[in-house]
Amino acid sequence: MSGLRPGTSMLRRSGIQFAGLLKVQGKLALREPIAPGTGIGLPVLLLVVFGVIGQNVPGNVGDTGLTIIDLWIPTILVVAFIGISITLPNTLVRDREIGWLRRVSTTPLHPFMLLAAQLVFDLFLAAAAVLIILGGGALIFGASLHVQILPFGLSLMLAIAEIFGLGLVLVALMPSQAVASAAAGVVFFASMFLAGLWVQPAQAPEPLRTIMYYSPTGAAAKAVLDSAFNGGPSYAGLLTMAVYTVIFGFVAIRYFRWE
Amino acid sequence: MSGAPAVTVQNLVKKYGHVVAVDDVSLSINEGEIFGIIGPNGAGKTTTVECISGLRAPDSGSISVYGLSPRKDRNKLREFVGVQLQESALPPRLRVGEAVRLFASFYPNPLDPDSLLESLGIKQIVNSSFKNLSGGQKQRVSIALALVGNPKLAILDELTTGLDPEARREIWGLIERMRDRGVTVILVTHFMDEAERLCDRLALIDHGTVIALDTPEAIAAQAGGSRVRFVPSQAVDEQTLRAIPGVKEIERKERYVIVTGTGDLSGSVINALAAIGVRVSDVEARTGNLEDAFIKLTKDDASSVAKEVQP
Repeated sequence: MSGLRPGTSMLRRSGIQFAGLLKVQGKLALREPIAPGTGIGLPVLLLVVFGVIGQNVPGNVGDTGLTIIDLWIPTILVVAFIGISITLPNTLVRDREIGWLRRVSTTPLHPFMLLAAQLVFDLFLAAAAVLIILGGGALIFGASLHVQILPFGLSLMLAIAEIFGLGLVLVALMPSQAVASAAAGVVFFASMFLAGLWVQPAQAPEPLRTIMYYSPTGAAAKAVLDSAFNGGPSYAGLLTMAVYTVIFGFVAIRYFRWE
Repeated sequence: MSGAPAVTVQNLVKKYGHVVAVDDVSLSINEGEIFGIIGPNGAGKTTTVECISGLRAPDSGSISVYGLSPRKDRNKLREFVGVQLQESALPPRLRVGEAVRLFASFYPNPLDPDSLLESLGIKQIVNSSFKNLSGGQKQRVSIALALVGNPKLAILDELTTGLDPEARREIWGLIERMRDRGVTVILVTHFMDEAERLCDRLALIDHGTVIALDTPEAIAAQAGGSRVRFVPSQAVDEQTLRAIPGVKEIERKERYVIVTGTGDLSGSVINALAAIGVRVSDVEARTGNLEDAFIKLTKDDASSVAKEVQP
């Protein structure tokens, strides 16, 4: 890494910088494995719990036409994204609080790259979570997935964008790591509830059902569910997620501070 | 030390809300010199260097760093300015070697991380996490990060705070070797011995303004400088004493004569008196130092400010 000559093109230099940065961010994330814990460990645990319940309570849930594991897999996927996103404030608010982001901003590397490396690493984690949950759900617990790649991929991508955006809003608005952790805890449980972890929206009474469907994580779980079992997500669901993504993105960018 | 100034600051003003942190600071720093910025806590030292490094936007005034504007040309500036910040930590689990190598990768012509760590005496902790380091080790890592990009200008804020005396001397040696390589250094410090030892020139800042700007020796001399007390073998009149170069004030106390002034005072007094056949005994000489000057100048400044405030 130290052998770069001045002749090396800017693009190549940025590429090498980013690769090095990604490696370091990855190592750091694995040394304090909160994101892998809440983003992969917790969903795997939930998959096993609902998988076992599903095997003991066979048949369809209510009039949904779906088994327990079918219904909960989308929720568990969304919980994985929440689990990864919710560690963003912890890490990035701390890095800002201790002056690390400011320190990096005095070097030729824009601190945005630091943020980008963190997000790329988190995307890898999210992809790993998706593969583990879908694979485990289908192969071990017999979920009857009829995934249509395009709408399913679109739903997942929007869900990830929206939920990571939520984490970045907390990063932007929280003044200190202590406050960020407390706020992240509240958001964590609220958004898992809205995604249907305790009560599936399909079985929830009104007006809770509508609230869940139009909440950030409820909309994500519904879109993923619809594109995995019900032929495809509704436009309303996709639009809901897109609107949240835009709002979260705007707030995060508008209020983001490097120091 | 010749050539165009590396850094010029003209009429810099920076306020935080209603608090004026820097009030009309002007200075110029030559290429290849170690320029010290000293002053009491809260005098505006850090704000001044933060404006020079482009971290803060001045409210008014202009700054030029190697012909560039720190705010407008910030991207270019970052390539050749190394900054050590006063309060800045690394992620707790980042290891020393990783941090220094990572920073090296940000720059077009970095120093070799391993030999840098070796010259800073921290090679043995390359695999330690930042959170496990002692204060002095953290400080050295922070210096390493400022220098690894092989900067033309290094801005070091509170360089040796938290280091033991031996470590301070090692770091001083390192800074002097940087100057020998032609690096321009801006050193913010509140250690007078450090400023005296390292700096080619100093700006003493108090209440956001420069109250003295000169070589450490000249600033030390400004505060009255040296003082010699002796017993002459025979009476010496005032005029004879006044004629001796460097003598400013004369005082008599019992059989002692006390002379204050600048330069090598005891030498010139003893020689001048010997030339007219007066021997001196019981000589006690004290050289004025920067610390005296610092206290005197900042006190004068405070009393003048106090006078301004009173109606």
